[in-house]
Amino acid sequence: MAEGRGDPIDDAALVHQIVGGSEAALATLYDRYGEAIFASACRLTADRGIAEEVVQETFLALWNRAELFDAAAGSLAAWLHAIGRNRAIDRLRAAGRRPRLVSTSSSTAVDENPTQGLERAVASGIVVAGGSQPRSPEAAVEAAGLREAIRSAMTAMPDTERTVILLAYQEDLSQAEIADRLAWPLGTVKTRTRRALLHLREALGGEFGPMAGQTDLDDMPVTIGQDR
Amino acid sequence: MDHDTTREQLELAAVEPGGLDRLVAGDTATAQAVAGHLAGCLSCTAELGRLQRASTLIREVAREIPPADLRERTLATVRAAGVARGAGADVGIGDDESAVSVTTGASPAAGALPTVGPTSAAVQARSRSALGWVAAVAAAVVLSVAATSVIVGGRVDERLASQARTIGALEKVTNATLVITSQPDVRRVALSGAEPGLAGSLLFSPSTSELVVVATGLTPPPAGQEYRCWVEQAGERQGVGKMSFSEGLAYWVGPVSAIRGLVGEATFGVSLVDLDGVDPDPEPVLEGGL
Repeated sequence: MAEGRGDPIDDAALVHQIVGGSEAALATLYDRYGEAIFASACRLTADRGIAEEVVQETFLALWNRAELFDAAAGSLAAWLHAIGRNRAIDRLRAAGRRPRLVSTSSSTAVDENPTQGLERAVASGIVVAGGSQPRSPEAAVEAAGLREAIRSAMTAMPDTERTVILLAYQEDLSQAEIADRLAWPLGTVKTRTRRALLHLREALGGEFGPMAGQTDLDDMPVTIGQDR
Repeated sequence: MDHDTTREQLELAAVEPGGLDRLVAGDTATAQAVAGHLAGCLSCTAELGRLQRASTLIREVAREIPPADLRERTLATVRAAGVARGAGADVGIGDDESAVSVTTGASPAAGALPTVGPTSAAVQARSRSALGWVAAVAAAVVLSVAATSVIVGGRVDERLASQARTIGALEKVTNATLVITSQPDVRRVALSGAEPGLAGSLLFSPSTSELVVVATGLTPPPAGQEYRCWVEQAGERQGVGKMSFSEGLAYWVGPVSAIRGLVGEATFGVSLVDLDGVDPDPEPVLEGGL
């Protein structure tokens, strides 16, 4: 995340620039909070398409109503998440669905501490279920660390590997469908899928990582066939 | 089945939706062989458990990662539908009335102000240029939807589903177009075909490597063949991807590493290729160059 996250002065200054018409300020705030709002909307709706619309509508609301933001009344993160949650619920109601029950622990973003998460959740009304089995601080930190490790590994891996793993996990495409979509040979897709999965598991380590003696990345062929 | 083959099967199944469950259920010859190996191998069984835990966690995180183009689409949405803001802005949003009419079908935001500066003017010019292009695509799709609508026979659900797919395709193309045209280095290539009625257009940004190509007049490929888009530089042709079809529209949208930082001359084209063919550079049915 960008610098200044959680600093209301920095955020407030950027909102003031938006009032003056600065798209750059809006883009900076998107970089700070866009991903977290998308993740919250995903957790609430279990629908990536709705989550995308929620993000767009949230930042459109920020642009259109920037004058209404009051830093003294609460953080920008809480304000944006409240807008996002309302938009998500509107969408769900329109589709005749109910919001998912979300525990306080799972509504806390990776880079938030529990207090920040709770503040944001309370402001947005997102706390609709108390955790019957509250996650210990150690477990919460570990879970956040694992999620961050996955994100970092995905960022660091080659484009070709990230593409196949995201198509598989985000769009639920089979390897044959990925090969069809990208016009890559099926063997190439399989090789890149295995390399990507191995990269991610190595980043996770522990009970998620590959066992000793697992195929080494260097032993896997880079491609099978041509990419056309 | 040995350890390596079993683990390869497990890894490939782990990223397929429900893949591990299907594999362990043993309803195919491969699955039965895997199940048979797992029954007598503690280490591979342990590996299955580790893969299940890892895959569940990775899927959860991956699904919460927004698509790479959402940032640009969000800014484009604000640019198209946001209220006009004051002078002194680096780039004004909400001053492009034509964009509003295309992306939302609504009238311009209340109180919209004139263009605020040269940067906005450039953005506006780019948007207008692209909007004509999008409108042409939309017209083709609307025509094809209308054509579908007059089909008789009572297959209403099928027809509605087809129209929904067509509208989805147009939305995808339109979103990509708005994102690409918001880039300062947007390039456009007209594609022409040898046969009458066959035409296409291509937009891309060398800085973001995002590309969208659309074509009208292409007939769906026969079995065993498909249309593929490509880019050729210095005599070397690189594949872009397989063209998708939706009613009268053929299109491809996405990132292309081959065009990142593209300078100088390049040729783009679409060719009909045999799926089992050996010709590395089949003749184009559509072609255009920079």
